[in-house]
Amino acid sequence: MITRSFILIALFCLLSAPARTEAMEVLRQYLPGEEAATPAPTPEPEQTPEPVAEPGPTPEPEPPASQQPPVVRVNVTSQAFNFSQPWRKGTPAIRQGLGVVLVDGRILVTAELVANHTYVELEKPETALKAPARVEVVDYDANLALLAAPAADFLQSIPGAKLDESAEVGDRIEIMQLEPNGTPVSTTAVITTIEVGPYPVDENAFLVFKLSVPLQSRENSFTVPAFRDGKLVGLLMRYDPRSQTADVVPAPVITHFLQAAAKTPYAGFPRAGLTFSDTRDPQLRRFAKLSNGTGGAYVTKVLRGSPADEAGIKAGDVLLSVDGRPIDQDGNYEDPRFGKISLAHYVSTALQAGQTIPVVVWRDGAEVTLDATLAPRDRTRMISQPYVFDTAPDFIVAGGIVFSELSRQFLREWGPRWPGEAPLRLVYLDRFQNELPPDRGKIVFISGVLSTPNTVGYQDLSYEIVEEVNGKPIRSLRDLADAIDNPDGKFLRIKLAEDPGVVVLDVEKSKAEEDRIQREYGLPYLRRLGGED
Amino acid sequence: MLRICRLLAVLLLAAPAAGLCAAPGPAASMVRISTTSQQPDYEVPWNPGNVGGGVGAGFVIEGNRIMTNAHVVSNATFITVVKEGDPTPWEARVLYVAHDCDLALLGVYDESFFKGTKPLEFGGIPALESTVSAYGYPIGGDRLSVTRGIVSRIDFLPYSHSEVDSHLAIQIDAAINPGNSGGPVMQDGKVVGVAFQGYSGAVAQNVGYMIPTPVIRRFLEDVKDGSYDRYMDLAATYYPLVNPAAREALGLDGEQEAGVLVGSVFDGGAADGKLQSGDVILSVDGHKVFADGKIDLDDERIEMSEIFERKFKGDEVKLDIIRNGEKQQVTLVLNRPWPFSIQARSYDTRPRFVLVGGLLFQPLNRDFIDTQKNVDTRLRYFFDYYTTDHIYREHPEVVVLSDVLTDQVNTYVTPFKGGIVNRINGKPIRNLQDVASAFEEPGEFHVIELLGEGRPIVLDRSTLKDASARIKDRYGVSSDQNL
Repeated sequence: MITRSFILIALFCLLSAPARTEAMEVLRQYLPGEEAATPAPTPEPEQTPEPVAEPGPTPEPEPPASQQPPVVRVNVTSQAFNFSQPWRKGTPAIRQGLGVVLVDGRILVTAELVANHTYVELEKPETALKAPARVEVVDYDANLALLAAPAADFLQSIPGAKLDESAEVGDRIEIMQLEPNGTPVSTTAVITTIEVGPYPVDENAFLVFKLSVPLQSRENSFTVPAFRDGKLVGLLMRYDPRSQTADVVPAPVITHFLQAAAKTPYAGFPRAGLTFSDTRDPQLRRFAKLSNGTGGAYVTKVLRGSPADEAGIKAGDVLLSVDGRPIDQDGNYEDPRFGKISLAHYVSTALQAGQTIPVVVWRDGAEVTLDATLAPRDRTRMISQPYVFDTAPDFIVAGGIVFSELSRQFLREWGPRWPGEAPLRLVYLDRFQNELPPDRGKIVFISGVLSTPNTVGYQDLSYEIVEEVNGKPIRSLRDLADAIDNPDGKFLRIKLAEDPGVVVLDVEKSKAEEDRIQREYGLPYLRRLGGED
Repeated sequence: MLRICRLLAVLLLAAPAAGLCAAPGPAASMVRISTTSQQPDYEVPWNPGNVGGGVGAGFVIEGNRIMTNAHVVSNATFITVVKEGDPTPWEARVLYVAHDCDLALLGVYDESFFKGTKPLEFGGIPALESTVSAYGYPIGGDRLSVTRGIVSRIDFLPYSHSEVDSHLAIQIDAAINPGNSGGPVMQDGKVVGVAFQGYSGAVAQNVGYMIPTPVIRRFLEDVKDGSYDRYMDLAATYYPLVNPAAREALGLDGEQEAGVLVGSVFDGGAADGKLQSGDVILSVDGHKVFADGKIDLDDERIEMSEIFERKFKGDEVKLDIIRNGEKQQVTLVLNRPWPFSIQARSYDTRPRFVLVGGLLFQPLNRDFIDTQKNVDTRLRYFFDYYTTDHIYREHPEVVVLSDVLTDQVNTYVTPFKGGIVNRINGKPIRNLQDVASAFEEPGEFHVIELLGEGRPIVLDRSTLKDASARIKDRYGVSSDQNL
């Protein structure tokens, strides 16, 4: 056993060292309404070597059996940004969860736990000793984060956990919780479904284990780990007490995250940049000249500049195989462990960014082989960011009018039912941003009005989109800042995409009111760009 | 202040007089209207629809006509009228109906009905706080009911019958209840309004509304040529111009308190090609437009749109404007713009649709969207922003794949319900007629593309003919289409 893990560690280092990857993420690769298939349990015994989490260079001998579970309490004080009043931070809140101590001494938690953190603290379960920790790597797409241990000896008595990637549907695993006195409590859960499903940041879909498990609330949260035979199977990210079901970030996703986190800069999860639909409809198959019985996923959209686009994949192509894996009518491939599972899992989690893979598509009745080089999603190209954490929202206050850039985080200010309650035009633009012209740039809009003598008659402005200022097109808040700073004239004529059509500010008079706005409304600054004021 | 005192003095004198002479007059002119109506079914558009009935009030006016509300006789299949004190129901018909101002004129097939009736005459706008009496057949009994109240408010208000129109309306505190609709509101023996809407008791008490005589007179004038042309509109939005910087930048330095800003101009409307976004309107037909969009007309300060309200199709309006700092004069010819109509409730028409292979296509409009339970973001946006974001330019009619009557030919199409049709067989779909025409195109397959990222819907033509007959039979569909 000892020798085996030694070899594996060495193997791992050899494999991962040359692969250079950058920050990346996975695009939503399934259509709304398209159900990810539940894979049939695969009874096949796993022959492949078990991957391990630790990228550390020195192999350690197996630690002696210990009563101490490989967990530590993680207390996070967080403070969200207020996107409606972007100069304000919200009320600080405390979240608690359990982190998993890894073999290299770092602590694995869900990204949700540390989102917008102001202070992260570790607490040893038995002694309640506390020490501040630092967030080293965080990936909100995959909902995972790594914390650096405060000091080398702080976690000394706690052994590190390895990963168990071999869990399958029907397997029993243990959910680890702690009593207030630090005593571990474990609850048996059954893996009922393994599928590709949405993660908390709704742009993305990754592998999810669904569990059936009756859990008590113990940590003020259900951010707790799942183990089998002392090895980590996954981290809980959702628990529904009514149906007693939980969603878990499973070990394969964690492994990919740890591999990517071993390198600087952090490389996330690659993506193809396409959406696809099933080809079950026989009429669609005849139309696409596909014979019945074979597979194929119908490509419905290829994102501009994405790996799929660069490879020459087009909407209307039918994906027949990816990296030699045949694709079935639902867009699934046959995973050796999970059975039929969405291609999205293979591309994002099984493969690494930078890898070039052959993609066979069916086009005009013939097979075409294309080479796709996987890459993370280029977030800067997105018109509206699906989430913004840890970064203060940008804004400009000019003459009392507050300008913001559209992000889904802004829309979330309307609460859990934001798609129905936030301003419809902005919701529409965010939701269908991929349909906008490629040179659209960011959407700058009026997010509020701080009444001053300059804003007389403008108090009712809300969420109008800015097109131009003094004839210069506005495609970002920076464009707006430039236009405001170089007004060439007495006025700022702000052309809106909708009624009332134009808003005018007097440059000098607006400047003269700046101090007053800051003072009266308590604004620390009147402008923040790139997260800096 | 002085003026109000004088008004009060007049009121005190007038009130008893009104009470004395009003009672015998209206009774001889009152008509109780019973209708049988059929509500169109926008969920199952080939269905004849539910049959219902209602009772409203009406009154005889000159020319052997009966005036009532449009909503009393909307979608009516059979109308009878009964005179006060006469047990015989007489069959009536709709002569003119104006859904945009909730008025209608009825005729009676047998004109001897009008023997012994007394046509009522119209008065002016009653003063605030003056007493008025409402006549009608509200719940609580079968015979004529009279309630009395005062004029509480005179304002531009939404008319709920069409859901998109606003006109001058008068609020009164006389009890107005269902059944009062269409009944006259009298003062000094003359009709000063037609009762038409109110709030339910759960929302507000003693708030009833009547259609004032300027609106009634306009309607009577409009139908003189034998057809109702509806209200005219500028087909542009305008906004108050009170911001000093905006006023200066737009060249309003010398204009005391005048000027409104043109926001949007809608295609095909009166202002199309004549006004631009960013123009400033200084005056309308010589009336100075104040910065808040009001004008002085007949000694009242009222909305500038009252000028357009009082005009008819083809009438001209002269505007003084400032464009790019230059003063100009433009003349508009008024017409009725179409883009707004999808947001209005429609009456007396049957739902339009096309059914092919169990796929139901319907145009997006208010009647349709009200039947939909879950309206997705795209459809909601297309409806709400149809005019403001000029969606009508690319989609004169927004055609929705509204339902799928499940059959073996379309069993995979069900998830596409609620999508907006972009192209069929390569042809852009700009209205419902296009859908019908596109399916006539030759080819092995019909290919339907919806807006968004979904796959195309493919229907095999060879299987479609049998399927269409089978589906019609199975689902009891009486007709393939109503264009």
